[in-house]
Amino acid sequence: MKPWLISFKRFIQEIWHDKMLFFICLSPILAGVFFRFGIPLLERFFAERLHYGLHLDQYHVLFDLLLGALLPYMFCFASTMVMLTEYDERITGYLAVTPLGKRGYLLTRLGFPAFLSFFGSCALLIVFSSSRMPLYLITLIAFLSCLLCFNISLLLFALSGNRVEGLALAKLSGLVLLGLPAPFFVPNEIQFFLAPFPSLWIAKLAVERKLILLIPAVLTGIVWILPLYRKFDHKLSRC
Amino acid sequence: MIHAKNLSFSYTKAPFIENLSFHIETGEIFGFLGPSGAGKSTIQKILTGLLKGYKGFVSIDGAEVKHHHNDFYETIGVDFEFPSLFEKLTARENLVFFSSLYKKHGDIDRSLAAVGLTREADKKVSGFSKGMKSRLNFIKALLHDPALLFLDEPTSGLDPTNARIIKDIIRNEKEKGKTIILTTHNMYDATELCDHVAFIVDGTIRALDTPRNLIMSKGASKIVYTYVSEGMERLREVPMRETGMDETLQRLIRESGITSIHSSEPTLNDIFVEVTGTHLV
Repeated sequence: MKPWLISFKRFIQEIWHDKMLFFICLSPILAGVFFRFGIPLLERFFAERLHYGLHLDQYHVLFDLLLGALLPYMFCFASTMVMLTEYDERITGYLAVTPLGKRGYLLTRLGFPAFLSFFGSCALLIVFSSSRMPLYLITLIAFLSCLLCFNISLLLFALSGNRVEGLALAKLSGLVLLGLPAPFFVPNEIQFFLAPFPSLWIAKLAVERKLILLIPAVLTGIVWILPLYRKFDHKLSRC
Repeated sequence: MIHAKNLSFSYTKAPFIENLSFHIETGEIFGFLGPSGAGKSTIQKILTGLLKGYKGFVSIDGAEVKHHHNDFYETIGVDFEFPSLFEKLTARENLVFFSSLYKKHGDIDRSLAAVGLTREADKKVSGFSKGMKSRLNFIKALLHDPALLFLDEPTSGLDPTNARIIKDIIRNEKEKGKTIILTTHNMYDATELCDHVAFIVDGTIRALDTPRNLIMSKGASKIVYTYVSEGMERLREVPMRETGMDETLQRLIRESGITSIHSSEPTLNDIFVEVTGTHLV
């Protein structure tokens, strides 16, 4: 078996045996069920029992955006936790001097999970989308969300000294997703303060459905990868 | 086999390793000897390709180390100073995992037996002592039968019996024709195992030779003997090469008047202190 397959198998086993990480990876399904069925029920409850019109139709795209980002975010969070545990146990540096190598390690700990989460995110959006997004948009949002979460993982690993720090930093990393609600609540001229965050462009693409917005969405994603990968590589070399 | 010329490296703006040049032949045990923080582990990281931002030239089998393909790692075994093991897995599971990354697979049971870990093979590593982890970490580096071994403080934290076992395995590996790079601050290990040693202090090589040459070039062996004269025990030292000219010694031998006699050779540590002005701590 190829070293990267063996390494990925070990990664899956690690998540399987860590119940917290396992349930984190499943949690987006619960969120999907809530967005798809829970919110309409809530709207009906407010209308029938409380005689209050809770109209959330205008936010259905936002729910879909959150749903699309949730699975990659949770997968990448789980990956980062596994990587930080391995870093604490000094395995990361050792694997870099085996036939797996640094890039093989990155591939099996971030690349594969991001790749899988792309399909997972597409599936979740197809099944649970409240706004009934077209397939091309679902695919684009899933892809861009994976790119964004790949960056978040690199950021968490590069900046955390250990798993405990990683957990703390993961809470803060949610701020990177702040661009998602921006087009719904923030005036246009202020939104651009969030321009360096890919999440803003993903949300604008979903709301405005202009393919030209794909360019800043992809570019901001790639621009973040370069310095973060350097930091990741730097940290790996000092294990 | 390994050739380094004007090797320099820095973690910050200040230089950490400066202008190192050395050559290591196939089949020899080469020791980097120096105090903690001298740059020994950094040299090992450069040689294994973990640190690539160095200046100068370093090649293994003629190929620059920073351009090595992943296949290069099939041919080397690395034993880092601190164990790198999955704490949640058993000793055997760890070896099975790491061994499976390579094309060549060793005999796990035999390796465990060689370092006295047979009974602990199916226990989780989290319950292991420091010495047990060190031994497991050591055999992990040998399982795929690498031609080139990088061993960083392999006997650190081991009791004398286990240190002896590890040193015997290292010698066996050398007999099989392996090239071994030993990084240590243990002068006894270096003297016993190494064909050549380089004294590293503050990122520079202060001396490089065989342990014997280093010892012989810097300090002559001497004879120390005691005898009784005028009711008092007296002690006298004479360089080994001048024993024939020491009339007191000659007379005492004729008169059987020596109360004690022993030879005294300088150790590698003495030479290290003399050459570098610092201690191996």
